[in-house]
Amino acid sequence: MTDSTAPGGQAVELVINGIAVRAEPHMTIVEAAWAGGVPRVTGVGCLEGVCGSCRILLRRGQDVSVALACETFAEPGIEALFLPPPAAARHQYELTDFTDGWDIQARFQEIFPEAVRCRHCHGCVRSCPKGIVVEEGIALAAAGRFREAGEAFLECVMCELCDSACPEQIAPAHVGLFCRRITAFFHLRPPNLIHRLEELRQEPFSSSGDKESA
Amino acid sequence: MKRGLSLQAALAAYRPDAELAPLPEQIDPDRLLSFFHPDHLRDSVTTLTVGPNAGAHCQRELAGLLQAEAVIDEVDLAGAPVTDTDVLVIGGGGAGCAAALAAAEHGARVLLATKLRLGDSNTVMAEGGIQAAIEPGDSAQKHMQDTLRAGHHAGDPALVAAMVGDGPEVIRWLIRQGMQFDQTASGDLHTRRAGGTSAPRIVHCRDYTGLEMMRVLREAVAQHRGIEVWDQHPAVELLSNERGQKCVGAVLSSLADRRLCIVRTRSVILATGGLGRLHLNGFPTSNHLGATGDGLVLAYRMGARLCELDSFQYHPTGLVNPPYLSGKLVTEGIRAAGALLLNAQGQRFVDELQPRDIVCAAIIRECREGRGIHPDTGGVGVWLDTPRLERGQPGLLERQFPKLLARTRVAGIDPRNEPILVYPTLHYQNGGAVIDVDGATTVPGLYAAGEVAGGIHGRNRIMGNALLEIIGFGRRAGIAAALSGHDRGPKKITLEHVNRARRALALAGLPLDRRAPQLLPPYTAAGKNS
Repeated sequence: MTDSTAPGGQAVELVINGIAVRAEPHMTIVEAAWAGGVPRVTGVGCLEGVCGSCRILLRRGQDVSVALACETFAEPGIEALFLPPPAAARHQYELTDFTDGWDIQARFQEIFPEAVRCRHCHGCVRSCPKGIVVEEGIALAAAGRFREAGEAFLECVMCELCDSACPEQIAPAHVGLFCRRITAFFHLRPPNLIHRLEELRQEPFSSSGDKESA
Repeated sequence: MKRGLSLQAALAAYRPDAELAPLPEQIDPDRLLSFFHPDHLRDSVTTLTVGPNAGAHCQRELAGLLQAEAVIDEVDLAGAPVTDTDVLVIGGGGAGCAAALAAAEHGARVLLATKLRLGDSNTVMAEGGIQAAIEPGDSAQKHMQDTLRAGHHAGDPALVAAMVGDGPEVIRWLIRQGMQFDQTASGDLHTRRAGGTSAPRIVHCRDYTGLEMMRVLREAVAQHRGIEVWDQHPAVELLSNERGQKCVGAVLSSLADRRLCIVRTRSVILATGGLGRLHLNGFPTSNHLGATGDGLVLAYRMGARLCELDSFQYHPTGLVNPPYLSGKLVTEGIRAAGALLLNAQGQRFVDELQPRDIVCAAIIRECREGRGIHPDTGGVGVWLDTPRLERGQPGLLERQFPKLLARTRVAGIDPRNEPILVYPTLHYQNGGAVIDVDGATTVPGLYAAGEVAGGIHGRNRIMGNALLEIIGFGRRAGIAAALSGHDRGPKKITLEHVNRARRALALAGLPLDRRAPQLLPPYTAAGKNS
């Protein structure tokens, strides 16, 4: 898949996990790691930026940032370090614990007590590879505006790089996901679906299969 | 292959408002498939000589893995730690999570082991949506007919009936897990029409349906008190009873240190997904890194019957450009919304909403006959005419396909102004382990759910049925596994089935140097160790 001698631009020299690697400029950091024989790069999943697995720390000169390796390209002189997967979650809840929609705000404060302590340092916003307005989302959640907060996290891939950037240990990705889930759990009641479920309750679907018309 | 136009020439000739000639008369679909579909490539199919499907047709590269030696032997298991659980789920995608949640809801202690990280799967990449017959003019019966017809009537009607009947309840269950779906102004679930279907039936969350589903299920599993999750623990072999006839557990290997551990259990649910990363017939793939067909290999060695091993889905619209995204998908939802396919001459050549195998074969025909578009970076493709769609429905791409825009933005392409170059990509394994409506394979104690299972989609799957299948059959398998086998569990765990398979290979004179499952594609340098 990767051939570091193929034509198409000057080879790029960079460092991945401490190992010097030569790559082609159009390669992503993942491809460069494979082509360069960097061992044990298994924190890789979808290769298209939606699974959030290939978290890297990136150094360009004085500038240090975080990114997803599958959508970051090889550049001369940069250093990339694959990060370990996120630590286990500190929060614990099951949606079935919720019985009354009036209690959501109170329960939210118990589950994510850190969410109200945001100091607006922008670390989460800077670290998000998807450009999510994380800080605004957290403020909306802290104010009990769960639907709007959840919408802010639509494109979240749960890489949790925001989490690692937060000095107050808010887990923003999980807060965003909580907001989305609680909104669906309590408020998504589509009439067309409910009507069909009711029809099926009265007359369950049965098919022998041989009635199928050609 | 005759050479068509260069990318630059085709782009210079392209006009989003160009007049289109009427669609030319279409040739017989069976002829089209037999000439141009990759399943029909010369030399791509062989016949299996050993195992439960001996004598059946099988794709050549897959046959090599099914008729390979195990990667472990009894001696490797000495000293391996043993863990007991009620239900072992192998695989952490949508089917595995649905199975784990359903089993735990029914009182089982569940261990979910996954090769990469929980949620790293093909599910997370699914864009288009999930089928459920909920609109007034639609019915489960119609859904069933569409599924069987698109599958060329090779699907098992009992399985299809179970799946389509589950549809609306699956959507309710997903909402109860906290999954969001797009709604109309009046609050109904918004539906789209998929290729090869008779009614709008796809419900979705923008073009992030799989991402939304996967992050919700991952959180539900991770937070569930009855489920334990082991990341980076692929299964390298199943375990059988002393006669090699019942599945009683599995051997897992840690990706971190390669150490083996034994899991002893009442039932095993295989939810290992597909095999796109085997790059069958040299095609690029839309699949995630772990899709190497491990589940088929393990099930076959254990003696489970498989089906449709010579039938794969090549999704018509894989990206060609840029190279690092080669094979990655552009959702069929965009054709459902009205986007057309154009050849290098700027003309339509197929009804874009025909079933995927037909559209795929038609694209390959255009390219092979010199009506393809060739970028400098290699490969060939045809246009997916997104600018024309945007002209007709301004703002549609941003509203309904944010994922497409986000991904192409990274690559410096704006599909609102520039058509997208696409070519078929290896997407889905139509067949798999033979199951019944409970997800039980032909081996006692072994269940299969999701892409690793077969019999539902026949020889071609329609959009949205994969997400429905993984949840519907994932839950069925989870429930059946949780409620089954209230005996006192296995007495002896052995590799008797491995010995049996090795004897069969030796008797047939097949080589014993090839080993499977493969676990990771070779280009990951998985074998290299510091």
